[in-house]
Amino acid sequence: MIQLHNVFMSYQKEVTALHGINLRVPRGEFIFLTGPSGAGKSTLLRLLYAGLTPTRGQVVIDGQNVTRMTRSQIPYLRRSIGVVFQDFKLLPNRTVLENVAITLEVLGWGKQDINKKVYHILKQMGLEHKINATPLRLSGGEQQRVALARALVNDPKILLADEPTGNLDEENKDLILNIFKDANIRGTTVVVATHDKRLIENSHKRIVSLDKGKIVEGSDAGQ
Amino acid sequence: MPVNKPLKRPKLANEGVVGRSTFFVNRALLNIRQNIFVNLVTIGTITLAILIISLFMLVFVNLEGVSNDWSKRVQVTAYFEQELSPPELATLKSLVQAIPGTDRVTYVSKEEAFKRFRERLKGQELLLEGITTDVLPSSVEISLKSASRNSDAISAYVARLKKVPGVTEVQYGEEWVQRYTTFMNFMRMAGLLLGSFLFLAVVFIVSNTIKLTIYSRKEELEILGLVGATRFFIKAPFLIEGILQGAAGAGLALVILTGCYYAFLHNAGNFLSFNPAASGLAFLPPVHIAGLFVSGVLLGFIGSITSLKRFVSV
Ligand SMILES: Nc1ncnc2c1ncn2[C@@H]1O[C@H](COP(=O)(O)OP(=O)(O)O)[C@@H](O)[C@H]1O
Ligand SMILES: [Mg+2]
Repeated sequence: MIQLHNVFMSYQKEVTALHGINLRVPRGEFIFLTGPSGAGKSTLLRLLYAGLTPTRGQVVIDGQNVTRMTRSQIPYLRRSIGVVFQDFKLLPNRTVLENVAITLEVLGWGKQDINKKVYHILKQMGLEHKINATPLRLSGGEQQRVALARALVNDPKILLADEPTGNLDEENKDLILNIFKDANIRGTTVVVATHDKRLIENSHKRIVSLDKGKIVEGSDAGQ
Repeated sequence: MPVNKPLKRPKLANEGVVGRSTFFVNRALLNIRQNIFVNLVTIGTITLAILIISLFMLVFVNLEGVSNDWSKRVQVTAYFEQELSPPELATLKSLVQAIPGTDRVTYVSKEEAFKRFRERLKGQELLLEGITTDVLPSSVEISLKSASRNSDAISAYVARLKKVPGVTEVQYGEEWVQRYTTFMNFMRMAGLLLGSFLFLAVVFIVSNTIKLTIYSRKEELEILGLVGATRFFIKAPFLIEGILQGAAGAGLALVILTGCYYAFLHNAGNFLSFNPAASGLAFLPPVHIAGLFVSGVLLGFIGSITSLKRFVSV
């Protein structure tokens, strides 16, 4: 479960990216975080994986107050959260296998187990034939799925995705959306930030709308 | 509501100290291979750094060697009132030997003193006419341990020596010792100062070069942090990489130094006429070699650890 209590976030003194956010996302839910560019969607996601500390307010994940975590606790929070970044953050000089394996290496898995598990998830993504390619030789949709594979390979409790359908065609969008839904069915709480209206309309999921750092719609579950 | 299956945790091959270390070492080796150019630059820098320091040391060690030879001339002579009987002599010798700083004690009898005197006046033996061996006093000549061969220590030593019963007079090359001490102190100071500047400069340069290595991989550091790597996990391969770079650089430097030594320097001593007694320049003693190697390793390690601070904030 994700909870935000009266969260403010300012990058510099004047710019307030988030303005008194209150939000509850129950375990296992799937929500879209939407709103115009600059509304604060990416900022909110960063708060959830402790990429930023809020200027004010509390962020609580699974009963743990992220705002009060020490530096050494943060890695353990991040291991339960899979993040798909807007710019993917794939290593260009590593293979697809190596890029996805990072998540499991960090946990201390052995090489053989990693290879099996990575192959398995890449197969789910329809990418098993690209396992030894480097990201630079992949299409945008394929890179997006590698980033997804890296986020999902450890069956995270929470999946965060920032504009995951950015430059994708309809076919790839459907593919990605289905992967999110599958993960959600297996129990992962999913938060997707997007301004893609069509993606949201067809999905029948809860929608939280942000504008100028405030929630304008869908603040509480079951609305 | 569906719930995550409890994460089936496969047996972790990288668990335990050995598994972890192997993983980190492999990762460091992989990193070196994947960033071979920056690594070669770093190793080259360390090699040059250690080479400069070791050449400096070589000069210093040889100067010390020369001055050590000089300092063997520091000798204290104690004269007695009257000739000593063998048992008296033995007591006196043991009393002198008991003074801290004493190295060797040699008895010079009246006859021996006279003989030396005569040798000095070779060709002018006429001068000795009518002089008997009685004229010259017998004495003991004391050489000092190297730690006591400076003016302060000698003054203290002489004061104690004068208290030994039977000793009437003590002589030593006071002025010479003073000059020698001043010179050695200057050399040590200069060496220390120059050495520390050199070391600081080298640490600075090496840590900047390593910063380059790490900077070229800041994306990877960021991603590792984002997928939940602990700071230790992120840093360990880089620290090992630094240690390996240091070891490689220092090793290479020592090989080059040894090569240069045997090719050029090894019999340059005659040419420099530093030390006519010894045959050529001395090579560094094993302790120094070990020290240089350890310094190289430390250089790589410190360089990595200081550079990592800027990039690993997680
Ligand atoms: N790193 C940053 N430094 C300063 N201001 C930022 C930074 N990131 C975002 N902002 C500002 O915060 C506000 C919210 O940005 P963001 O969360 O990226 O919005 P969205 O993802 O909804 O487009 C914007 O006004 C943006 O200019
Ligand atoms: Mg954004």
